[in-house]
Amino acid sequence: MTPGDYLAVALLIVGGVFFLAGTAGLLRFPDVYTRLHALTKADNVGLGLVVAGLALQAESWAVAGKLLLIWLLVLLAGASVAHLVAQAARQRGIKLWKR
Amino acid sequence: MLFALMWWVLTDGAMDSWLVGAPVVLFATLVSVMLLPPFSWSLTGIVRFVPFFLWRSLHGGVDVARRALHPRLPISPGMVNYRWRLPPGLPRVVMANTVSLLPGTLSAELHKEYLRVHVLNRREDFLSELEKVEQRVAAMFALSLPPSGGGK
Repeated sequence: MTPGDYLAVALLIVGGVFFLAGTAGLLRFPDVYTRLHALTKADNVGLGLVVAGLALQAESWAVAGKLLLIWLLVLLAGASVAHLVAQAARQRGIKLWKR
Repeated sequence: MLFALMWWVLTDGAMDSWLVGAPVVLFATLVSVMLLPPFSWSLTGIVRFVPFFLWRSLHGGVDVARRALHPRLPISPGMVNYRWRLPPGLPRVVMANTVSLLPGTLSAELHKEYLRVHVLNRREDFLSELEKVEQRVAAMFALSLPPSGGGK
């Protein structure tokens, strides 16, 4: 394995850890708003690291560009959907959990 | 330009695909011009926004991951209103989406006068963070903001 391979593997594993943390947050956080925090932010970083790891292994610039495009679309969709879910929750009068 | 680059990426730079690609790129450009009202933007503003966003969103991911895995679940959520300094339209949407990806903040509602933000930890200094984000977004759109901070 080349140093590039090791770096790619490390990025993929750390990315996976972020997905795990995002899922843990989804299960452990107390209400819909806090769960959205966990999903949007942790998964965004997780996917970013996975994409970076895969891009290192990509055969061409076009493939790396495609991966980057996927990440940007997921970012946009994730942030927009999180906002819409939070707004819908507010309109239905779902109270936020307080310590 | 942007759409042409996207087509190249999607087709792995296959030359014969441009027979379909050229009209599609032209059509996409036309539609986007029709749908999106023209807005001013600044290249330096965008170039400076990218590292800021990448770094802060990485920070956001690490922060929320730490809280989610922490045995005592260290969160104390709350809702705050942030008064807009940005003009209505695209800049506000960009700001709302950015806020959702930064540490501890999630935009919950785009009100006419303020952005309602859900914060994961009320004790943190999210206000100056929001002001910074607004500043950066304004720079991308080549806008200048009134100096008085947003506040609650």
